[in-house]
Amino acid sequence: MSDDGLSRRQYLSTVGGTAVTVSLAGCFGGGGGGDGSTEITAGTAPGFPPFEMKQDGELVGFDVDLLEAVVDETDYTLAGWEEYEFKSLIPALTNSNIDVVAAGMTINDERDQTIDFTDPYYSSNQAIVVREDGDFSPSSLSDLSGRPVGAQKGTTGESTIQSELIEPGNLEESNYNSYGNYVLAIEDLQNGNIDAVVIDEPVAQTFAAQRPVTIAFTYETGENFGFGVREDDDEFTQALNDGLATVRDGSTYQDLTNKWFGQQ
Amino acid sequence: MPLLPLQSDWAFVVGNLDLLLAGTGVTIGLTAASILLGFLLGFPAGAVEVYGSGPLKRAVETAGVVLRGTPLLVIIILLFFGLSVSSSAFVTATVALGLRSAAYQSQIFRGALQSVDEGQLEAARAVGMGRLQAIRSVVVPQALRRSVPGFQNEFTIVLKDTSIAIVIGLGELLTVGQNLYQGGQSTAALEIFLTVSLIYFVLTFVTNRSLDRLDDRFSIPGGERA
Repeated sequence: MSDDGLSRRQYLSTVGGTAVTVSLAGCFGGGGGGDGSTEITAGTAPGFPPFEMKQDGELVGFDVDLLEAVVDETDYTLAGWEEYEFKSLIPALTNSNIDVVAAGMTINDERDQTIDFTDPYYSSNQAIVVREDGDFSPSSLSDLSGRPVGAQKGTTGESTIQSELIEPGNLEESNYNSYGNYVLAIEDLQNGNIDAVVIDEPVAQTFAAQRPVTIAFTYETGENFGFGVREDDDEFTQALNDGLATVRDGSTYQDLTNKWFGQQ
Repeated sequence: MPLLPLQSDWAFVVGNLDLLLAGTGVTIGLTAASILLGFLLGFPAGAVEVYGSGPLKRAVETAGVVLRGTPLLVIIILLFFGLSVSSSAFVTATVALGLRSAAYQSQIFRGALQSVDEGQLEAARAVGMGRLQAIRSVVVPQALRRSVPGFQNEFTIVLKDTSIAIVIGLGELLTVGQNLYQGGQSTAALEIFLTVSLIYFVLTFVTNRSLDRLDDRFSIPGGERA
């Protein structure tokens, strides 16, 4: 052990520096949720390109632009965005930390029991992604039998694997790998640990453009994305639906789909 | 599209270093605030467990058992979405990590206090000190020195557990890293993980060495190390 310890002055300046960091960091962190005023806070889960992601520290994406355009058509004003993990969004909404969820959330019965949804704003199907240079090119879900496949936890891709493959007995439970996020699933696909990944079609297209993977086929689920709102917030839901209709009727909606899905 | 060469992934990490460092700042702030809160609650709690009695001692022990037995993820979600202690994710995360750390630190200090020979207390009383004064002036200074190694462990645990704040949307180091590869260059996942790990390692290493120095400086002269 050396004996050239910190001098008292050095020690104090270290402690002081830490204290400054703490007080600065205290300025981060979110504002409040809805309190009946016309200011609303939106919530999303970045990491779902091109719907929502962080680029250079900024939150961007189709959902972000679309919700902002929709809210502009209403009497409400958007105070800001809060970011959560996908699975925290519904608790954050019901707890009034946020007033609306814009996170590529599929409208389904299970979620509909806890929260309400606006009218659908986007339709998606599930894509089955495989390695570009691999010899495995399935053309239907039944071709996945006996193959290791992956999806992201808590997504409709996972539900598809569960209900269409595992429950009918076409795939062993042990052949299904569940990942914390899409990127890690695709990484494992590239590494050869799994043979296919089931994910939303627009997200799959983003990956196909960036990596040596390709969409083997799409499975029609006819699912719709909607903005999530609290069940008692009927007036606000109506306003969002009217705003959405206006945005769809004009050119804004087309402009945004071209901007975010066009260049693939 | 051609496979991006590996260098471009490292270039992407370097290009976004400012964001990662901003996340590091949040991580450091959260760690420091949580450790401090944990110390302010945990040290008295440890002392109560050693010297206290009656309902207060039982209450402190029960709170400790509950906090140590509950996963941090559950504590943080309960505090944010259940009890809503604060609308600020930073404050909520600090309370959650601080309470859990207090429960751990109370045991570090309990062990350290108990390790001081009983004769010390008797001797202090014999020269006319009151019980409280004897504990404060004779036992506590010795116990604090002995708690440094356990405290180093606790610091390391809290530092890395700050990443759990991702569930309530706090932009700390791991959150920033994850957002980078999920929103920008998705091939850079491994490079970002390695960079984030390196930053955690540096933070841990620097603090542990500083605490080592502190330990050396304040160690009991002519003590066990002689």
